[in-house]
Amino acid sequence: MLFFSFFKTLVDHEVTVELKNDISIKGTLKSVDQFLNIKLDDIQVVEELKYPHLSSVKNVFIRGSVVRYVHLPGAAVDTALLEDATRREAASQASKPR
Amino acid sequence: MSFFGFDPGPKNRGHPSQGLGFGTAPDPFASISQKREIGQDDDDESIDFDDTYDGLGDQLEEADDDFNDDTFGGGESATKPVGKDFDFYGSTSQVSNAINEEAIQHNRQQPASKITAAPSSPPKQASKPFKTGYEAYKNPSYIPELQVDASLWGTGPPKPSNDYGAQQSQQGGYGAGPSQQRSSVGAPSKKMMSLEEVEAAMRAQPKKPSPIPAPQQQPQAPSPFGMLQMQQQAPMITRAPQQQDPIPYSHAMPQQNIQGQQVVPPPDFSSGQIRIQQRPAQQPSHHKHRSSQIMQAELPTQASPTPQTAAPPQILQRGQNMPHQASEAHVSPQPRQILQNPNRHSGQLAPRPNEPPVPVQMQQRGPLPGQNGPQGPMQIIHHPSMIMNLPEEERNLYLEAEAKRAKRNHKILLLSKGNGLMTPQDKNFITRIQLQQLMTATGNVNEPDPDASLSEDFYYQVYNQIENRPRQNPQQPLSNFAQTYLFRTGGRQGGIGRRYRGGDSHMQRMEQQVQRAVEAAKAKPKNKQLVIEGSLGKISFSNAKTPKPLLNIKRHDSTDLGNRQSKKPQAALSTTDRKAILKNIEAVYSTLMKMEDHDRRQRPPPTAESDPLAIQYAIDWEQTFRDLNQKLWTDLKVTEPIMEESAILHPFITFLSYPKGKKAMPRIFNHIDENQRLTILTMVIVNLDVLDVIRLAQSQPQSPHSPSIAHEQIDLFLQAVIPSLFSYVTEAPLNIVIGMLGLVIERVNLNVVARTRVGLEILTMILSRAAIIKALDAPEDDIWDQWLTVYDRFFDMVEPFLGDIFFTSVNAGQDQYVWQFLAASGSGANPEQQQRLVLAVKDRVMETLQQSKTLPPEMASQRRGNVNLFMQAIGLDVDLLDG
Repeated sequence: MLFFSFFKTLVDHEVTVELKNDISIKGTLKSVDQFLNIKLDDIQVVEELKYPHLSSVKNVFIRGSVVRYVHLPGAAVDTALLEDATRREAASQASKPR
Repeated sequence: MSFFGFDPGPKNRGHPSQGLGFGTAPDPFASISQKREIGQDDDDESIDFDDTYDGLGDQLEEADDDFNDDTFGGGESATKPVGKDFDFYGSTSQVSNAINEEAIQHNRQQPASKITAAPSSPPKQASKPFKTGYEAYKNPSYIPELQVDASLWGTGPPKPSNDYGAQQSQQGGYGAGPSQQRSSVGAPSKKMMSLEEVEAAMRAQPKKPSPIPAPQQQPQAPSPFGMLQMQQQAPMITRAPQQQDPIPYSHAMPQQNIQGQQVVPPPDFSSGQIRIQQRPAQQPSHHKHRSSQIMQAELPTQASPTPQTAAPPQILQRGQNMPHQASEAHVSPQPRQILQNPNRHSGQLAPRPNEPPVPVQMQQRGPLPGQNGPQGPMQIIHHPSMIMNLPEEERNLYLEAEAKRAKRNHKILLLSKGNGLMTPQDKNFITRIQLQQLMTATGNVNEPDPDASLSEDFYYQVYNQIENRPRQNPQQPLSNFAQTYLFRTGGRQGGIGRRYRGGDSHMQRMEQQVQRAVEAAKAKPKNKQLVIEGSLGKISFSNAKTPKPLLNIKRHDSTDLGNRQSKKPQAALSTTDRKAILKNIEAVYSTLMKMEDHDRRQRPPPTAESDPLAIQYAIDWEQTFRDLNQKLWTDLKVTEPIMEESAILHPFITFLSYPKGKKAMPRIFNHIDENQRLTILTMVIVNLDVLDVIRLAQSQPQSPHSPSIAHEQIDLFLQAVIPSLFSYVTEAPLNIVIGMLGLVIERVNLNVVARTRVGLEILTMILSRAAIIKALDAPEDDIWDQWLTVYDRFFDMVEPFLGDIFFTSVNAGQDQYVWQFLAASGSGANPEQQQRLVLAVKDRVMETLQQSKTLPPEMASQRRGNVNLFMQAIGLDVDLLDG
């Protein structure tokens, strides 16, 4: 749930989602769910010339499994907190019975 | 004997003692026709039979038949046929008493051989009103039933009817029944197809040629012996009825009835006429009759439950419908005759005969409660003749509509098969499970320990707190989710519920229930796996939080332990090992997090009046805190012995050389006491010249910008470590400050330290603190003297490097901290030292002032401010220099 928790804090920030088919979509993160499905608003494809068919698309819902990267707005990330959250996650994972 | 008072006449001749109830009225011609069809010689056989009949059938014990129904479940099967002609109930009920009486009477009088359906019948009638018309569908054998019919038809011996039927089915389609039915049915009964028969046939399956009694009976009565046998077996066969389909029987019954009733009307009508004509007379028929009686006896036993239900209504109907038929016959005598002799004319006139029976069917169907809503045509057509009069097209339309309706009803039936399978409780149960899944997917809302839910969503929670958004209770968002969900569901249901009565209360109950469900879910430890008894594997559940593991690799804890044990001494030995260091840092962090969690659990300190539990809690808390603190302290390894001249850095210094370690410092300082802080400060100062930030800065002393990595490290150190140290130093008493500076003098290579920002800042920190103490606290003279002594030594040591401390050019503008250091030094210096100080940095002062004049006012004032800081510390001002 770490990533879910993390992405929730990025709602209403602008992110760039790079898909596994090499399309990069920049847009405002509207929502994210536990599967890391992503909803973007006011999107813009980074290489618009290459993917003209997406030029008229205004918002997208991206299935989490097709996302390769999400480029984050660095200012919106609290790395120290994220580190701690990661530690917690790891600790809770470790403590869970296998 | 018969219900209508007909004198069966020939029937009873041979066996006067065996009076038949109407229900079992034997059909003397049926057997004749059958045999004829088979090609047997009726006369001989009947005679033979009579002669050889040993009367065993009479000896059969009949007394206990009353309970046959109970034993064999005849009651159920009896209802099947009943369901098909319920519509006659009204008329039947009028004479039901008579029927019952007759049936009972018959039952009592009947000798063994006469097993009739009558006995069981009367009670069944009561159930008729409840028929919905769907009974047949509920009966699992319903469809097989149809198949049976088909097979009978296909194998049916009577060729004429067979052929005819085939033709008919091709031509007539849905309504094919009439002519064919007449011909086929009529054969054995030697009577026109009755309405009842038509109904039965139609019910069996509209598209299938109606089952013929003759073929059905055929196999049963191949020979007198066979019949006899059956007769004797009759009571034992009773099991059959359930499996056997009622329809055939219902066909048989009508025949009997027909016979009974229709003996009176001129025999011409009946198809049996043909046979009769072939036969010399009915006279010999009492043998046949006998056989037919046997047949009847057998039939009832097979379908024993049904007869009464089937028979009486049919009879009644007969009464009603007779006029129709009569009129029909009058209206269209031609077709009728043709029907009677299917062999000859059926092919030619096939289409015609179709008509009459169809209406009959309609008529009967209309009233069926279950099968139809009132539909247009249905209502309009009341009489067979009406449809007869319809033009071909309309008729077809009508039939089509009829077929469609039947189809639809059937579909509805199939769909509604599952109706009512689940009770409300079942549904609630399912709902609970689903909600439970939902809850676990989003985390346990009511987790007893709020930290647990916090850990699931830690980043989000804390981030929001940090961002100062409307602060939420750590568990709030999660439970919010549940609430939101419930609310939404409730809203939706409420919309519907408003239409129904009590919708709102239902919603409330739902909500409460979900609450309970959630509580139950959390109370019950969740089974991750389900092992079904007898199954070969386990079924593991998954949710979004804990996905089903695709690979389940077991760790061998024992070997793992062994590894750890063997590694531990190693790690202890090589603490400088990068990995070990990182592990130490992580250990520190985890301890830190525990301590922070622990802090959250701190309660207001107990007072004298607080209850023992609270006091105990406070004590426990304190204990835990100490334990954690101790653990943190050991993890930090601050107290490890300092090995002078050792190539290996002190573990704590190594710890500080990692960004993570630097970042931990502020948090560590929050959780340690004064002594520990002092220890850390001391450790830093002692190792000042080997701190990574100082060494890195040292490597490129003249470069305006340190390499990015070093730069980042220095910035980080300044941001994370220095403030912590500073916060301590600002509180430190003078003696500690003196000790610090002493340590710097003794242990630190000032040449190195003084050239770095970090070094200068630390020195500034110490020197400025001393100045502040002097100004505010007016320390005692002896202590202050100690300070002056130390300071003198320090000044002497640092003076040679003063020219070099500006290791950035004037233009860079990054020398504020240097000026601060100079100011701090100057403020504590005596006039002579100040003089030396000014001399050392005079050039720089002039350069800076000169340069500031070329800069924009803002930057210029900043530069001048920096210089002025130093100038004022030594009692001067930049304005004097300008002047």
